[in-house]
Amino acid sequence: MDSDLETIALAGNPNAGKTTIFNALTGSHQKVGNYAGVTVAKKSGEFFTPHGRKIRLLDLPGCYSLQGDSPDQVIASRVLCGQDPEEPAPALVINVVDASALERHLQLTLELIELGLPVVLALNMVDVAENNGIRLDPAALSDQLGIPVVSLMATKGKGLVELKQAIRHPLPQAAETPWLQEGMTAEQKTQARIRYIQQTCELAARRPGAAQQLFSDRLDYFLLHPFFGWIAFALIMFALFWSIFSISSIPVGWLESAQGALQDFIATRMATGDLNDLITQGIIGGAGSVLVFLPQIVILFLFIGLLESTGYMSRAAFLMDGVMSRVGLSGKSFLPLLSAHACALPAIMAARTIDSAKERLVTIFVAPWMSCSARLPVYLLLVPMLLQSEEGNSMQQGLVMAAIYLVGIFTAFAVAKILRKKLGPDEQSNHFMMELPPFHPPQWCYILRHVRDRAWAFVKNAGTIILAISIILWALQTYPKSSSEDPAEKLSHSAMGRISAFIEPVFAPIGHDGKTGAAILTSFAAREVFVSSIAIMHHVEEADDEVETRGTIRSQLQATTWADGRPMFTTASLISLLLFYIYALQCLPTSAVVARETGSWKWAIGQFAFMSAFAWFAAFLAFQLLS
Amino acid sequence: MPHTTDIIRALEQDSLISLEQAKVGCEFHIRFINGPACEKLRQMGFCESMRIKKITDGRNMICTVCGTKMALSRELAHQVLVEASS
Repeated sequence: MDSDLETIALAGNPNAGKTTIFNALTGSHQKVGNYAGVTVAKKSGEFFTPHGRKIRLLDLPGCYSLQGDSPDQVIASRVLCGQDPEEPAPALVINVVDASALERHLQLTLELIELGLPVVLALNMVDVAENNGIRLDPAALSDQLGIPVVSLMATKGKGLVELKQAIRHPLPQAAETPWLQEGMTAEQKTQARIRYIQQTCELAARRPGAAQQLFSDRLDYFLLHPFFGWIAFALIMFALFWSIFSISSIPVGWLESAQGALQDFIATRMATGDLNDLITQGIIGGAGSVLVFLPQIVILFLFIGLLESTGYMSRAAFLMDGVMSRVGLSGKSFLPLLSAHACALPAIMAARTIDSAKERLVTIFVAPWMSCSARLPVYLLLVPMLLQSEEGNSMQQGLVMAAIYLVGIFTAFAVAKILRKKLGPDEQSNHFMMELPPFHPPQWCYILRHVRDRAWAFVKNAGTIILAISIILWALQTYPKSSSEDPAEKLSHSAMGRISAFIEPVFAPIGHDGKTGAAILTSFAAREVFVSSIAIMHHVEEADDEVETRGTIRSQLQATTWADGRPMFTTASLISLLLFYIYALQCLPTSAVVARETGSWKWAIGQFAFMSAFAWFAAFLAFQLLS
Repeated sequence: MPHTTDIIRALEQDSLISLEQAKVGCEFHIRFINGPACEKLRQMGFCESMRIKKITDGRNMICTVCGTKMALSRELAHQVLVEASS
């Protein structure tokens, strides 16, 4: 950070469009969405004013007031009040307000003016306000508040040049506060602000006499209906799982064909030996077996991005509040828990929007039980084995996948209920209150950029951690070499054979041998490593065709037997393995984020130990009862 | 001894209904916010004399406050006293 740069802060109520303006001004690609609480941490970027002056822009989490008590609101108010030791007090505040709800948004504006900071009002979503029949008068608004007002349509990129002009040097002066009088109490100040806002809106943002029925209202009639709303919710969730299996099969086919062709190309052009084996079995067989799941990951993130961008997320939270309250949580916990199905890391950070500290802690504790995208490759490998079917029966596999996700969700709810009871009631009771933003068409460019970033992170993971583990596993399995030609003899002589034999007593009670145990251990680095590890362990030859390749892994596993000839991958052992992957916390970055968000490693270590032990016992019980 | 303005306020509040009791589909004006969560309600836009329309009832109800759709629990709605819009 260049400490000489002047800092300008973007502040406003949640979902006012701050991050959209931040991205447009700085060229950043921060995540945006159509619900309150997308931004939960401060972000900084740089841009140039029309006069070429470089400015540091700070995007703050949304806050309704400077007295807000949820952690994300506290971050914003500390920066604005100059109490954040890491940030200088901003030289100017761009207060982003939703022009269609000025009466609500101007409360923060008046509080910002009272701080004595120069403020520029970014009157965003003027198109939405005009469609709602509101007659805006930005000049009257500017006169009344004593600050510059700029009309914007940030999603369409309109008004940004005018905004840059308004923040050029010399910066505007701090405005007067005519609504305040000497000696007012806090309550009197609040009432004075309310009166002044009403007076201002009478002059500058007149509403039509009768409320209009908008498209969003008609859609809400069904989506929030006590019966149809749940049907729509179930259909949306099922469509997500079904599309992961069905639509993704086409790009997966292309990817696997390319992989097979590459493998053939290398294998036929190199002399046989260790290097050929390392490249085809270790590198392409290992990292490649994970990479083929990229289309499913892309579809998952695309779907969640669509839900976030259109405004459905807050509707889902509203519907789920009743269910969540039975386990001591609220609809606000639902948002982080739903996004945990993509990745637990942003989900744990999103828990900052929850007002109750105890509810936040419980949400963070159970969030990793929502099946994240890293578990998807493991499920996609094991589910067809469990059904003893070929790939393609997407409806049946979609149902089993939905059941797997539900097992994680219900267990998380049960543990949340116990934990919430143990932590006791909140000192200050918190009740459900949430803004339901109007539905918007999805912002495709941001969704696609977000999906691209997540896909790249997945590919990078496959090219680094998974590749490294694949090479190490291959080496452990190849050396020291045995003079015997028998593959079983060769494996037992290798380092991996010895490690497997050593750890087998831990995994035998849950129905697996040391080789699968070693694959499970490697997946503590990243869950999806399991697929590549198991492929390397069983020396799977890659084929030209996608279904054939995964089919090969499955047929190799299905043919695996114990020393006495019993098949190893039975229904019982597969269910036990699936349960282990549903419950185990095999993600070190998650533990690091939990420690940061809870302010203690005690919670992170406790969560890791509890989830690992729980996973083993659940797998043990399932195997012993079913076999 | 209670102050006269407090008595007038109390009498006025008695003649009002809470948002929880208000009829679905009708428009109201908020007259008082009264209860432990009044500060939070005001922060979210439930301020005195604002126009409000109750859309649905239930465990959590939906209403529009100055064009914004808000969902809030019955406990919070109980703290919002309204009178019918003329």
